[in-house]
Amino acid sequence: MGFFRDLFQREQRTDRRIADESPEPQEPSTRNLSKNIDYILYALKRTEDLKVRILKKGDAALLYFEPLVDQEKVQASIFTPIEIGKVDSIHEIPNAKETRNLEEAVNSLLRGHAIYIEDDNRRISQFNVTSVFNRNVDEPANEKVVRGAHDGFVENIMVNINLVRKRIEHRDLKVKFYRVGKKTNTNLAILYMEGIADPEVILKMEERIKSIDADKVQSPGYIEEFIEDSAWSPFPQMLNTERPDRVVANLMEGRVALFTEGSPTSLIAPSTFFMFYQAPDDYNTRWYTGTFIRLIRLASFLIAIGLPALYIAIVSFHFEVIPDDLIAPIKSSINEIAYPPVFEALVMVVIIELIRESGIRLPSPVGQTIGIVGGLVIGDAVVRAGLVSNVMVIVIALTAISSFVVPSNELSTTLRLLTFPLIGLSATLGFVGLIFGFLFIAVHLTKLESFGVPYFAPIAPLRLTDLKDTFVRLPIFMLKTRPKDAHPLNDKAIEDSRKWKKNEQQSKKP
Amino acid sequence: MKRLCLIFLVSMLTLTGCWDQRQFKNIKLALSIGVDQGSNGEIVKTVSVPTVSGGGDGGQINETIQTLSTDGHTMLEARDKIDRMLAHSFNPSKMEVVILGEDIAKKDIYPILDNYYRNPNSNLNAHLAIAEGEAKDVLSFKGGGEARISEYLKGILDGAAAASRTTGENLQMICAELVEDGEDFTVPLIKLNEDDNTIKFNGLGLMSGDRYSGVKLSAEQAPLLMLMMGNKGRVAQLTKKVNEHQKEEILDYITVEVMKYNKDLKIHPSEEEVRVDIVLDLDVRVIEYPHDHLVSEKVIDDLNGKLKETLTTEAEEIFSVLQEGNSDVFAIGRKIQAYHPKVWEKLDWEEMYPEVQFNPEINVTIQQHGIVN
Repeated sequence: MGFFRDLFQREQRTDRRIADESPEPQEPSTRNLSKNIDYILYALKRTEDLKVRILKKGDAALLYFEPLVDQEKVQASIFTPIEIGKVDSIHEIPNAKETRNLEEAVNSLLRGHAIYIEDDNRRISQFNVTSVFNRNVDEPANEKVVRGAHDGFVENIMVNINLVRKRIEHRDLKVKFYRVGKKTNTNLAILYMEGIADPEVILKMEERIKSIDADKVQSPGYIEEFIEDSAWSPFPQMLNTERPDRVVANLMEGRVALFTEGSPTSLIAPSTFFMFYQAPDDYNTRWYTGTFIRLIRLASFLIAIGLPALYIAIVSFHFEVIPDDLIAPIKSSINEIAYPPVFEALVMVVIIELIRESGIRLPSPVGQTIGIVGGLVIGDAVVRAGLVSNVMVIVIALTAISSFVVPSNELSTTLRLLTFPLIGLSATLGFVGLIFGFLFIAVHLTKLESFGVPYFAPIAPLRLTDLKDTFVRLPIFMLKTRPKDAHPLNDKAIEDSRKWKKNEQQSKKP
Repeated sequence: MKRLCLIFLVSMLTLTGCWDQRQFKNIKLALSIGVDQGSNGEIVKTVSVPTVSGGGDGGQINETIQTLSTDGHTMLEARDKIDRMLAHSFNPSKMEVVILGEDIAKKDIYPILDNYYRNPNSNLNAHLAIAEGEAKDVLSFKGGGEARISEYLKGILDGAAAASRTTGENLQMICAELVEDGEDFTVPLIKLNEDDNTIKFNGLGLMSGDRYSGVKLSAEQAPLLMLMMGNKGRVAQLTKKVNEHQKEEILDYITVEVMKYNKDLKIHPSEEEVRVDIVLDLDVRVIEYPHDHLVSEKVIDDLNGKLKETLTTEAEEIFSVLQEGNSDVFAIGRKIQAYHPKVWEKLDWEEMYPEVQFNPEINVTIQQHGIVN
């Protein structure tokens, strides 16, 4: 495999041409108005929402998709200039884009443009009169922060890029557009910092985007599965976020952000395991707090995947490790349970997942009711009925809470899934199985790559200086170099920013 | 091939099932175990097994204790017989206390403990104690305020270790001393007092080799021995008589707590005689002295002197008891063996130990006397 990968990479290194325009189909317009209109109508399958407005007593026509255009914009950009007499003909309006290619005209119609054609003239004028419906740039519901920016991406790619550009006013921020999806023709953009991001990563990204050959590309979730390195891995290899500040921070580390039209989620690659545990909050609070919270979060990883398995291993194999004073409470709670602990755990985990899943779909007032009914009533009744022991309820509840601590929803679902194999292993082999399970996960994480970059960096390969923003969050002025995992071209992120301190001390001395 | 491997792996994990599971709910834990000498040379094993219930719905945990007794030729045979009397299976891996009857302790105790040392699951953290009388009576005891006899016994032994009355050694720590030559140990003695319905710590039994010598140190002597052995627990408290014929008897006594201690043990071995000098320096705090008036240095010096005198005499008594029981708890023999191997070869330690000349010297310095003078 490695050989093929090398071959693949070498090919990319030699081929430096980026974004070569694939030749679009050509169909020259004719001088005959009705022939032109016929061609367009035929191309668009005589769809009935295509409006053809005949102007100049049949000598000219204005075509547009009625649902796509904003009537006011049509008025303002096409008819108003004529009415006030600035120009004589619609062709003369300066903000028109001209073409003589009917295929291009069809595509621009689909984009929401209006086209104007005259008889005896091959010119086609296109006007951008698309109507846009945007929601506000509200804070994303699944990535709330206490302090920090409260805006989030929306479904419009231009607004999203606007949010990023506003935050990085620098000439090195580069945007590249692609069209993916043969039928949906979705607009896709990648953003990166030229001079920081590794060109090889960008090449890989482009190569993979171009190889997407599908009718429909709906959301970053689609694209993620097309372009990620190991689709079989349970771990997400691209970070999903709806927060502009998170995207900006990652761009500045030399990563690439990917946006698609119609989705507020952006994908960030290459990403590492520990990126999923960094939240914008860490950098907005004092660094002690940031460090503490991050350590809690990382502990939640172990709890979320290992606690039920550990408990099962203890009560089914190694009860010697239970402290003397806990023997009576634990034994009395599980003594009269009909099922073995594995079964108890699975029942509880499934119940929790059911409650969670039903809570998502329902409107929020009902969702709360479900939470109370599910959490309190079922939790209590299940113990009273003797189906599940109360220790197991504590264990599973703690596990569920821990899995929600992760700032990324993707990793949170992964963690909840990883619980199951570990439960199985520890129910069959006890501590031995549990250790084997953790070992498998560790081996897998170490082997995993995201766009040619080690996923488990900076632990494997170990890079001590990058630990400064992994388990702990040192003060910002000490995070002088960018993490090495994304292979940034430029290492230095922060120069000596506390020079003032030396200056003040020097000025005090004499 | 890959698919075949996967099928093997999956079936290995799923088809094996739970064949070696030891469900915690399907066992009966023996928390305290007692061993006595039977009348025909067999051993009598007594266990107390708690059965808990009612913890499921958050209510009160009900606990009933079964005390079962049976005889057998070996410990495991007896366990097997007990298992027949119990619902579920018997498991001693959380045992907290092992109590030996006085009679069986006077024989070799290793054979009794052998099965615990051999089994990796057994709790070597358990306490070992000798019951004056029958272990069965102790385990059948009901009362003492604690729910379980094991908790009561464990509490007594933990408390004794904290108050520097015992070494606090568990089965694991005793093991080495049991099999080594030239090193003996003490085992806490407990006594069932049927008159006032209590069990109490009743001194230290002195082991000689691998059997109980039958000679014991009283609970009052124990702290001083522990200090000389360098085995102070959390607190070490000594109450001594320092005055004579005061108005009230209570005024004759002083209670001190040891703050810091320093022991120095020197062995001067030769083939004819072995001399051992023990110097123990105690920095103490007066915690009770009803006589009061600890104002002048003269009074304090006076008390230091009296305490030194009393404690040194007491130490000499302790050593004579140790020699009576032929119990080398200071591991003098082992030290001679290690540092003077040539002398050791020529010594018959069993014979020699009672002849060893011990010269204890206990220096006491009162450092604090509380917040009143």
